[in-house]
Amino acid sequence: MIRTRNIWIIALLIWSLSPLFWQVYTSFCSPESLIQPLSNSGHRWTLDNYRQVLTADPPFWRYLLNSAIVGISSTSLTLLLAIPAAYSLSRIPAKLARLVKLLMLGAALFPYVLLFLALLELARSFNLGNNLLALSFPYAALSMPLAVLLLASAFKDLPVDLEEAAKLEGLGLWQRLRWVLIPLVGPATASTSILVFLFSWNEYPIALTWLSRSDLLTLPVAIARIAGTSVYSIPYGPYAAATVLGALPLLALVMIFQRQIVSGLTQGAVKG
Amino acid sequence: MSLILQDIGRRVGRKWILRHLQLEVANGECLALLGPSGCGKSTTLRLIAGLDLADEGSILIDGQDVSKVAAVDRRIGMVFQSYALFPHLTVAANLCLGLRVRGISAAEQQHRVASVLALMQLEEFADRRPAQLSGGQRQRVALARALLRDPLVYLLDEPMSNLDAQLREDLRPELRRLILNGNQPVVYVTHDQHEAMAMADRIAVLRDGQLEQIGTPQELYLKPSTIFVASFIGRPQINLLPAQSGIVTAIRPEDVHLSEEGISCRIIDIEWLGTSQLCLLDSPKGKLRMLCNSQIKIPENVKVKWSSEKEHHFNSESGHRIN
Ligand SMILES: Nc1ncnc2c1ncn2[C@@H]1O[C@H](COP(=O)(O)OP(=O)(O)OP(=O)(O)O)[C@@H](O)[C@H]1O
Ligand SMILES: [Mg+2]
Repeated sequence: MIRTRNIWIIALLIWSLSPLFWQVYTSFCSPESLIQPLSNSGHRWTLDNYRQVLTADPPFWRYLLNSAIVGISSTSLTLLLAIPAAYSLSRIPAKLARLVKLLMLGAALFPYVLLFLALLELARSFNLGNNLLALSFPYAALSMPLAVLLLASAFKDLPVDLEEAAKLEGLGLWQRLRWVLIPLVGPATASTSILVFLFSWNEYPIALTWLSRSDLLTLPVAIARIAGTSVYSIPYGPYAAATVLGALPLLALVMIFQRQIVSGLTQGAVKG
Repeated sequence: MSLILQDIGRRVGRKWILRHLQLEVANGECLALLGPSGCGKSTTLRLIAGLDLADEGSILIDGQDVSKVAAVDRRIGMVFQSYALFPHLTVAANLCLGLRVRGISAAEQQHRVASVLALMQLEEFADRRPAQLSGGQRQRVALARALLRDPLVYLLDEPMSNLDAQLREDLRPELRRLILNGNQPVVYVTHDQHEAMAMADRIAVLRDGQLEQIGTPQELYLKPSTIFVASFIGRPQINLLPAQSGIVTAIRPEDVHLSEEGISCRIIDIEWLGTSQLCLLDSPKGKLRMLCNSQIKIPENVKVKWSSEKEHHFNSESGHRIN
């Protein structure tokens, strides 16, 4: 039983991690060794790819910073709007809530790529192009349905007694949210934030069309540019190095939030 | 009277889950709301607390109509059945939260929390989370929170139902000392008639959202106004004899005595209860319960009787008492 389960897990890990390992491997290979994978020439391993990526103009950390700015601002904006919305959604009559959830689910499932022309038009008329912070408007809007649905079910799962106790203690609506409800949906908020951050970190079509100044590009666009710098060859090595560098912050983020995501904070809230 | 419910009613959809409820509770008085599950006890408390709004009637606290006042502003100290302690906060922070949002200075908060912790013998748990406390300790924290609210009315919703029998008995005097001797009206919900009799000055028996009878424990025990109250109050349960010409006669097991002559019965079963024993008898009038001293040796066939003034008579149609 346990043996077969282990085999499944290992197979799954290989399935999902092997492209990553391939990418890491590639990022440390010299171009020559990539072309002739079996030759045993002396300069197989190299940091050149990283050096090239980090010293380009603008340097790679600039894109990391851009993406971080966009990620943080769109995550914040999403939470700022989604938390009150989710709270209300969890407190309105069940029938109405079901209808709203259905609509949101529809919005969440809509292929957003179809929107990007319209969004571009909006960006043009409101002068939002080439502005990192402005990018958080479409990102927050696109993440909103999913974020609201996730958070609403978290609010719904809280024992009603807790909010009622807070009411009787004299806490007004905002105080209840601030001191009782939001801390209790912390784990759900953390996982929602990660999803939103991930989306904005990886988003390509909108970033491609809204941003054109090379010092403002976000990671996916920048990486795609590296891949397309030359017509004659594809720079696999630098491309892989850029991908690895771009993935590291995400990895760190998930590690940091892991504990919050899984912690069962509501344990022991109600009876014994 | 400082808590008055005037003809309140609560409707869910088209169904009334509470109707025509009239209650008055004086300062320092403890009123127990007693009744079977689903009879509307918690609903009544929620209406008083303002967690739900009454669909008819009005609620007066200290002479002021609070029917339209939000729960946040009602100054109610409530102990929930689940205790509803904030799981992410320590005991001290749980107690502090309300004081802080009500704008009490930090020094004063410290002082009040410390003194209530001392009062409840909870000092050593100040830095623990609710999850790290036992049921009894949680109950004390919930009580401490209600005390700190400095309320106009105390509401307790089955505060002991999550505790074992032993602990309940230990906590009863403590609870009486802390809350019931205060100067506020106390409404105490329970479905345990024994607890109600032990804690309350008066008991209101509810049935299907309606008030069945209200009175002191003695009144309810000695003069139950309906068959329902008669069988709900007093353990072992009262004997209901089969109706004769529209009248049900009821007699308490403790009023049935062995005697030389009387109704001859056969013993079916005996439960030994320590100081007393409960005999189940098969009589010409149906099954009878008799409570007698456990010293007595009971033969197979016995004769029993009771004095007629101990009998209760009820109309078999309406269930109401006939005097
Ligand atoms: N929100 C609601 N919607 C529909 N019915 C409700 C609602 N709240 C309560 N009821 C009904 O009202 C009746 C009284 O409920 P209540 O919670 O007051 O009972 P209770 O006396 O406290 O019972 P228990 O001893 O089990 O706690 C029940 O029949 C319950 O099903
Ligand atoms: Mg109840």
